[in-house]
Amino acid sequence: MELSQRDRLSELVEQLTTSGQPQLNQDKMKEIKKICKASNDCIEHMYHSVLSRLNEEHAEVRLSAFQIASELFSRSHHFRTLLVDNLQEFLELTVETDSEQPLPPPKEVARKLRSLAIQTIQSWQTSYGGAYKKLALGYHFLKQVKKVDFQDAEARTVAERRRAEDRQRRMEMIYKERVEAALKDMEESYPDIEATLTEMECCMRLLLPEFELTGIQTTNSSSPNSQPANECSSVDEQPCCSKDVRDDKRGGKLEEKEGREKKKSDGEEKRETEDKGTIEGEERNTGEEEKEREKKDRSEEAEGEDEKRRDGNEHEKKKAKKVEDREEEEEEEKGSSAEEEEEEEEEGDEDLFIRNSGLISHSYSLDLNLSPGLHVKETEDNEAVVSTVIDLHKLIKSKHLPAVQGWIQVFTKSGAEQQLLRRALDLKRSLEAALQKHEELHIDYKTRVRKVMKAHSDGEDDDDDDFDEVPEKEGYEPHIPEHLRAEYGLDPTPSTSTAPVTKKPPAKRLAAPPPPPSSSFSRRLKRRAEEEQDPTCAAATLRLLKHNFPLPAEPSSSAGPSSSQSSSEQKATDAPVVPFGLDLYYWGQEQPNAGKIVKLASQHQFWAHTVVEEEVENEELLAESRSRYISFPGRFTPVGHHCRAPLGNGSLCQRQDRHKCPFHGRIIPRDEDGRPLSQEDRLREEQEERRKREEQPDWRDAELMRDIEAATGEDLGSDRVGKKGKGKGKKKYPNLSDLKQSANTSRSRLERKVFNKSAMRRVAQVMSKCDKRKHEKFSNQFNYALN
Amino acid sequence: MLGFLAARQAGVDDPLRLRRAESTRRVLGLQLNPDRDVDRIHGNGINTIDIDSIEGRYMLSGGADGVIVVYDLENFSGKPQYTCKAVCTVGRSSRHVHKFSVETVQWYPYDTGMFVSSSFDKTMKVWDTETLKPAEVFEFEGNVYSHHLSPIARKHSLIAVGTKNPKIQLCDLKSGSRIHVLQGHRAEVLSVRWSPRYEHILATASADSKVKVWDVRRASGSLLTLDRHNGDKSKASSEAVNTAHNGRVNGLCFTGDGLYLLTTGTDDRMRLWNSATGENTLVNYGKVCNESRKRLQFTVSRGCSPEFVFVPCGSSVAVYALHTGELVTMLRGHYNNVDCCEFHPDYQELYSGGKDCNILAWVPVLRASDVEEESNSTNTGAVGQSSVNPAFQDAWSSDED
Repeated sequence: MELSQRDRLSELVEQLTTSGQPQLNQDKMKEIKKICKASNDCIEHMYHSVLSRLNEEHAEVRLSAFQIASELFSRSHHFRTLLVDNLQEFLELTVETDSEQPLPPPKEVARKLRSLAIQTIQSWQTSYGGAYKKLALGYHFLKQVKKVDFQDAEARTVAERRRAEDRQRRMEMIYKERVEAALKDMEESYPDIEATLTEMECCMRLLLPEFELTGIQTTNSSSPNSQPANECSSVDEQPCCSKDVRDDKRGGKLEEKEGREKKKSDGEEKRETEDKGTIEGEERNTGEEEKEREKKDRSEEAEGEDEKRRDGNEHEKKKAKKVEDREEEEEEEKGSSAEEEEEEEEEGDEDLFIRNSGLISHSYSLDLNLSPGLHVKETEDNEAVVSTVIDLHKLIKSKHLPAVQGWIQVFTKSGAEQQLLRRALDLKRSLEAALQKHEELHIDYKTRVRKVMKAHSDGEDDDDDDFDEVPEKEGYEPHIPEHLRAEYGLDPTPSTSTAPVTKKPPAKRLAAPPPPPSSSFSRRLKRRAEEEQDPTCAAATLRLLKHNFPLPAEPSSSAGPSSSQSSSEQKATDAPVVPFGLDLYYWGQEQPNAGKIVKLASQHQFWAHTVVEEEVENEELLAESRSRYISFPGRFTPVGHHCRAPLGNGSLCQRQDRHKCPFHGRIIPRDEDGRPLSQEDRLREEQEERRKREEQPDWRDAELMRDIEAATGEDLGSDRVGKKGKGKGKKKYPNLSDLKQSANTSRSRLERKVFNKSAMRRVAQVMSKCDKRKHEKFSNQFNYALN
Repeated sequence: MLGFLAARQAGVDDPLRLRRAESTRRVLGLQLNPDRDVDRIHGNGINTIDIDSIEGRYMLSGGADGVIVVYDLENFSGKPQYTCKAVCTVGRSSRHVHKFSVETVQWYPYDTGMFVSSSFDKTMKVWDTETLKPAEVFEFEGNVYSHHLSPIARKHSLIAVGTKNPKIQLCDLKSGSRIHVLQGHRAEVLSVRWSPRYEHILATASADSKVKVWDVRRASGSLLTLDRHNGDKSKASSEAVNTAHNGRVNGLCFTGDGLYLLTTGTDDRMRLWNSATGENTLVNYGKVCNESRKRLQFTVSRGCSPEFVFVPCGSSVAVYALHTGELVTMLRGHYNNVDCCEFHPDYQELYSGGKDCNILAWVPVLRASDVEEESNSTNTGAVGQSSVNPAFQDAWSSDED
């Protein structure tokens, strides 16, 4: 074999195996085959190079090498003999027959390699198994000893299958336990739920007795109730039927059917009479008009009335009645029977419609205000029932339904018996039905809730109720309910609330209270004063707080002339509140012995004369006692600006430091891109940038990192850093997936930190120091010294 | 070959010489032959095999699942293709089957009507081949690692049994009782072998890394304890005195003439000893992989002019020249560790059993195949190609041109 061929083959194998592709490059493969066809030497060379590639600890390399091998295996007898001779190793490297030599990472590729190898070996066995004894042996070995299932698409080994079975068994166990727990749970709460359902049912029936009779449970049930009225009105097509229906509605659905029917019939009767009236009236009217035209002697009143009628329909009935009355008055002499006949004769074409339909106009708009569904209004009578219903509803919704749903989930997941599942489903259905029923009832809770609230307040108002529930109190309470103020030993007007403050006299802070208006009030005040002395009482605390945090509104209420009030108010708000001191104590007076010090000649109390008491004036002290230090910290103004230095990710620094950003230095005005506005700042920044680029941070020193890598065996990227200057980070085989990269997990990173050599050394040092200290401490005690 | 034949004809050579030359040639040509198969009966690893010495026709095998199988090795079909049939089996369904792994099986040296098997179920059974029922059962306190019947004994019918107990038991087939105990080892006895030359000489190998040679007529103690340093105290540390290996000694085999003894140990060494003097011949066989914690059954060829040792070495069988220690070849065919191998002296065939449940027959490749290959190469036409198995043809497709 020529050297060039050999080199070319090696090169091709290297290229193919380091491509990292799942499929081989066909052109290169063709070239390999072309060379190999020439002689057996080439094939031998190929065999050795492929086997050496198969030995690489990289699944992608192995996969490619295996693909080359299978290509050649189907072509060359020589290659087959060579490969079959060493089939053990081949299997170890591709099918993972030796459990101590697992396939190398990456995992997915290894799995693919394994399944591919198993498939290939099966196909080899079918085509060459008879001829190559060892191949058949290997196949049988895989099949019988390694228990490789060749039909299994996953190509799992026994261990894997067992693991899967184990997992399944464990899951089954868990499911079984869960089912049992759920079953037990269900058994326990089944009666509960049943009871709840029955109760709900009963409540519903109580609320709406005919609920079951009239309909099943849907909205259809409501329509029959309201429909008859609606229908008859629409059939009648009477103009005023809406009013009747409204009447009906006002009657309420709650009323019994008979009642409604009765009412309806009443209404209808009424309506009929009314209708008759209107029709008559109208007919009269039209007739009247005609008469007017003929006779032209109609009275002015009648004309006006007609005009009015044309304007508004609402007063029709009244008008009609009036007209009717008038007509009756007019035509008293004529007689009722004659009148009707007369009218019939006078009917025109347009009157036919009125006659037929009873309608005056063609365009009537009916406004039917029907609310769909049922409405149960809470009344005093059914309050208890409704509250029970609410409770039950809550119970079902929050407890029973989730529980039942949980059971169903468990049963369906674990494939429990159908019976159980059916039972749970039934339960769920009935619960849901109950809920839906409840929905459809549209119970009006609001009244009830308000009522309850009212009841509460009533209870609070009750004075005879001694044991009111009192919310827990701790320390200072800024808001004390008015009715409780007496309890706290406070006057009834709360100082903290806003409205009464202005009215309140400021005298409270003064020692002498204004004269009491009544004896009881004075007593109370006295008691309050006493309580204020008592530090355990809330009043004392409150007083203290009042002193410490004087309300801004308080001074405004100082009793003064109304003219100066506004200015003084202004002043009071501006004036600072200062702690009490000597200077305030002697405000406006001469301090008697300010700045005087009793000077003792000797520090000794026996040897010196006791009479000698010199007082020395001390200027400083004097000044001190008269002056007052007021520290002026200034006001805190929140920082409104951002640093706005450009960051690496393109955004701007959002830090809000007052003067200096810890990352970007002094805060300078910048434009919207983060560039400094002033020229010198820009220059300075550019300089810094350049400097930073020049010097690598010392922790990224390539040398040091390489040392660490050598020590830890982890890739810290020293080559990347080192090569940054050169500008090319060249990996040997860029197409192969990097095995080390996959090891870069949080765990490995932590490991790197924790098991770092220096860290370990540091820990060891500290530990040994502890030990040593102990030894030093107890070295003279034999029983400690020994251990 | 022709020269040998001519010399034989002329009477110049001893007939033995031709035989030796031919059998040596055959041994050197041992290969895995697709024509020879052994029935796959065992569902577990095969620990031991034995070929009967009377006819050389029947082969016993004992498996790790307690199954014992008898194979017929003789090929009467007249075709080269032959699968060794299993004549009879003591299967798991049998009432008398060994409960645990069978460690040793051996034919009775004078008749195939009887064989002996020992097992990890602490028993040794003497079987009647016809009925496949145990005629006698010996029970022991510990696992039985190995037993051996003397192949040449005429004055006694003792079975030496090596068990977990350091004492070697001697069981008499005549009385059916344990008649004797040989004391001297400190750990379990992994292998026992009678000398094929002297019927009262017994060699035993133990996990205490010692190999002792006994004369069973002498009750007081062993004749020899083999020492790898040949008594050179300066080389041996105090505890290594009189040890054959630096580790467990799990293989023991006399040469056919009984003059030499071979031992293997878990120190991955094989040593050749002069069985008369107990001297280490210091033949260097190199590394012989050996991780077995049990007995390793290996064998020596018979009737070859340089004798060969067949020793399991990992998943292959290594063939060494006995006296030079040269590795002749590695027979690679098993897919898992090989535990035992047995040489068929009449046909120069080798049978090996391993943990991959296979018994492989290594058959000499005949000269004729060489001739066929030559003829193939000479007439390169399509006619010659067609005579070969199509699987052996190259299948280059035309598009690679």
